[in-house]
Amino acid sequence: MAAARRHKRVAASQPGFLPLKSDLDGNSSDIKRRKRVNKNKKKNWNKYSDIQDVEEFLEDVRLQEKAVGGLIAEKPDDSLFFVDTGEKDKDTQPQTTVKKGKRSKPLRIDLILRPDSLIPAPKNVLAFQQPNAKKQRRMAEKAAKLAAMGVVPRREKLLQLRRAAAASGLSDKEKPVANNNPERAFYDLWSAGAPETADPYYLEQTKKKLVKRPDRLNEKPSVLPAIEVVAPGASYNPDFFSHQDLLREAHEVEVKKLKAEEKLKRQLAVNEDIATKESNFKEQVEGLIEEGDSEPEEPEGDAEDTVIGPTATQEKKTEKERKKEKAQRIKELQTKAERQKIDKQQQLFQLRSIRSDLKKQEQRTKMRQAQRKAKQEAQKSMPRRLGRLKFQAPDLDIQLSDELAGSLRSLKPEGSILKDRFKSLQKRNLIEPRERAKFKRKYKLKYTEKRAFREIQ
Amino acid sequence: MGGLQKKKYERGSATNYITRNKARKKLSLSLADFRRLCILKGIYPHEPKHKKKVNKGSTAPRTFYLLKDIRFLLHEPIVGKFREYKIFVRKLRKAYGKANWSGVERLKENKPSYKLDHIIKERYPTFIDALRDVDDALSMCFLFSTFARTGKCHVQTIQLCRRLSVEWMNYIISSRSLKKVFLSIKGIYYQAEVLGQTITWIIPYQFAHDHPTDVDYRVMATFTEFYTTLLGFVNFRLYQTLNLVYPPKLDGQGEISLKSEFEEDYALDSESYTEKLSALSASLARMVPTVEEEETQLDHFPTEGDDLEKMEVREKMEQEQNTQKKLFEGLKFFLNREVPRESLAFVIRCFGGQVSWDKSLCIGSTYDATDETITHHIVDRPSVDKQYINRYYIQPQWVYDSVNGKILLPVEEYFLGVTLPPHLSPFVEETEGDYVPPEKLKLMALQRGEKPQMEEEEEEEEGDEEEEEDEDDEEEDDQSEEEDEAEDEANLAEMEEKRSRGKKLSVKVTPGKVKAENRKRTAEEEKAEEKRLAIMMMKKREKYLYDKIMFGKKRNVREANKLAAKRKAHDDASKADKKKKKKKC
Repeated sequence: MAAARRHKRVAASQPGFLPLKSDLDGNSSDIKRRKRVNKNKKKNWNKYSDIQDVEEFLEDVRLQEKAVGGLIAEKPDDSLFFVDTGEKDKDTQPQTTVKKGKRSKPLRIDLILRPDSLIPAPKNVLAFQQPNAKKQRRMAEKAAKLAAMGVVPRREKLLQLRRAAAASGLSDKEKPVANNNPERAFYDLWSAGAPETADPYYLEQTKKKLVKRPDRLNEKPSVLPAIEVVAPGASYNPDFFSHQDLLREAHEVEVKKLKAEEKLKRQLAVNEDIATKESNFKEQVEGLIEEGDSEPEEPEGDAEDTVIGPTATQEKKTEKERKKEKAQRIKELQTKAERQKIDKQQQLFQLRSIRSDLKKQEQRTKMRQAQRKAKQEAQKSMPRRLGRLKFQAPDLDIQLSDELAGSLRSLKPEGSILKDRFKSLQKRNLIEPRERAKFKRKYKLKYTEKRAFREIQ
Repeated sequence: MGGLQKKKYERGSATNYITRNKARKKLSLSLADFRRLCILKGIYPHEPKHKKKVNKGSTAPRTFYLLKDIRFLLHEPIVGKFREYKIFVRKLRKAYGKANWSGVERLKENKPSYKLDHIIKERYPTFIDALRDVDDALSMCFLFSTFARTGKCHVQTIQLCRRLSVEWMNYIISSRSLKKVFLSIKGIYYQAEVLGQTITWIIPYQFAHDHPTDVDYRVMATFTEFYTTLLGFVNFRLYQTLNLVYPPKLDGQGEISLKSEFEEDYALDSESYTEKLSALSASLARMVPTVEEEETQLDHFPTEGDDLEKMEVREKMEQEQNTQKKLFEGLKFFLNREVPRESLAFVIRCFGGQVSWDKSLCIGSTYDATDETITHHIVDRPSVDKQYINRYYIQPQWVYDSVNGKILLPVEEYFLGVTLPPHLSPFVEETEGDYVPPEKLKLMALQRGEKPQMEEEEEEEEGDEEEEEDEDDEEEDDQSEEEDEAEDEANLAEMEEKRSRGKKLSVKVTPGKVKAENRKRTAEEEKAEEKRLAIMMMKKREKYLYDKIMFGKKRNVREANKLAAKRKAHDDASKADKKKKKKKC
């Protein structure tokens, strides 16, 4: 706007200013008579001031700028006029234009799309602005400074290393080998490497050194050996007696199981007195048939019994009775105290027996201590209760006398080593006994007959 | 009374333990991952002393861990790997679902994996620690290596287990450290002594498994994963101690002789080498090719008294062990096709024997059945058509029994078609007074170098023999200064008898004789006297205990005698039966 105003001042005041529209002057001559209005109100400024001429002038300036690209008055003369020298040129010109015309004539669509105004579109400032320009400039400056000092940035360094590795034919990074890869390599794990010289605190914080394993964890939870060799009776060609021993052992286990089962059965058994027709009838008839003598008597006795007990009618104690009771109590206490005193005196003569008592007691505590200790020792080799289920010892693997094979060729192996190992792990408290999770269907299966099936039927 | 009211379950044992579920949540792992982590790190559940307190008043059975253990787990780097793996699986599933095959490829290429090396180093700070725990690892590896490749576990795991177990067997063969073998109905138990550690493991018979359903395969696979890593490192170290090349290589000369035209029938070229290794018939290459080992003599240091005796004992032991190691040296075995090849080859090679089998049975056979130098032909069938005259045809049990007996047993009892003597367990250590089966007694007699008599004589003399042996034992015990009070008392009685006899003799006047054994006898007497005095000086309580122990021992002896009598009766009965049968025939 400021530019426009300046034009108005500069150009319009000049005597040589040429308005583009010729009627500008005429309009300005017939101005109406001014109306008098108070101009102390801002509203009135707009309403009653006549800015028609200014508007028109500015409109004209804009028009000139659009059409010509500037004020015509400011244009140099030779851009507005030319010297007409005759028709000589005109003859030659059309020929050339015809020749070139086909090539140089713009398409109509381009003409339509061409902006009508000659004023260049205003520049979008934001389009040329860089985000974080300042920061980036500073970073670039720093990088340049470092480069001048000869420091290579990390990314560059890595790239160089990778290139060098590729050039020397080595792969840049070894792929980790799976733990169960049959071709995996081993090395001397326990060889003493170079001792760590770095600060231990630094190593711990950067997780280069692992946390020390507490010694408690290196103790085994059970004293049992990893491999328990079976009894000699389980040899494939056993000695007669050791085989019998083993069989007896297995037999005892079986008997114990059977007993437990029987006990359970007995406990769960239904009571023997099952209702018969007779008893049913008796129950239905009960109370209907009078039995004469016993029934009427009982309620009386009951009534008498219920009456006995604390009632309001109980008599109060008299003063005399109270005194008597009190005297009795005091006397009892006295005799008791006396008795105690005598006893204490008597203890002096019982010293020997007291001593022996004490000794006995001591002995008993010692014995109990020993027992407890022994029990604790035994506990160490026992499977503990580690979860919902108790450890259940596997069945003894045996072969009956007629199952025994005479030779190694005809031997039929008994039991599974996998199961044996698994149970051993449980027995040594390394894992808790569990049972296989049952498969549970989330939704019920719906039974439908398929058409094909129905057709057969 | 002032002070804040103490809240329940905020101190003491309730805060020392954590339930499994809480621990799982604390680590933000799934239950399966948590279980795997615990197994790998060696963290086991605990049974608290006061369950109700720990369980905050409830008595429901739960699995508890120590809170400190779980805190320790929080530092483990593979926890992060487990989480990564979970995410990997999720992404993979998604890619599959969307049929995004290139994505699947890319994901699979970057599959996260973890290492267990640091855990092994942490759990077993020294090599010996690891060696002590190798029993479990061996049994598990041998077991998994026999699994069929049916998808119960990864095929790769099976292959790795096979490789490691073959490496272990090869090590045992080259170090000759096998001590005992026991064929049970379950599997074969082996015991070896490696670097001073007694190691026992069990191997299943071939083709002998059904897959039990009540075993958690995932747990077992996790244990195996850990144990394979452990066994790999242990093997490496063991090979180093023997100066062997790791991974094992066959010895140069052996390799050439092994080549045969049938090779491609057994295995692909890629597999044939490992197969040859697992045939156990050739020795392994060493880092430094050594000349035949000379007898290493123990260094002698001049010492006095007690130490000298110990040294002698030790030397004797060493010598025995050396002779045992060379039990089968110079013998040439041939295995018929019906015997368990791997087990026999392993045992025979462990004691220096040479072994071969039919070419069509397995790769790696070194000589044919027609070889004239074969000394023992192991057969497990009633009869063989074509027999060579210069070799023994024996049943496989002979090999195992000889190893357990530490001597070459007489082969007569193991000939074809003969009823075998019982296979005794070498893992039973009889304390004196226990019942010892007569077969073992015979064996012991053989070990002492006595000649086996004819059968009938032997049986008659059996009872006497036992008594003799008891006496022998007594003498030995006395010499070794063991405080066996029962025997000493018996000795005492004998001594007194002798003394009284001596008194009777001294009535006669005879020319003086120099008694040769006098000094020894006086020493014995003195000892017995000391013992008696010690018994007299005992306190009442100790005396009671002593009597009790003596009574227990006597009872044991009585029971053993009873069993022996029973056995004799049984034997007599069976013999009578046999005679009857013979007569009938």
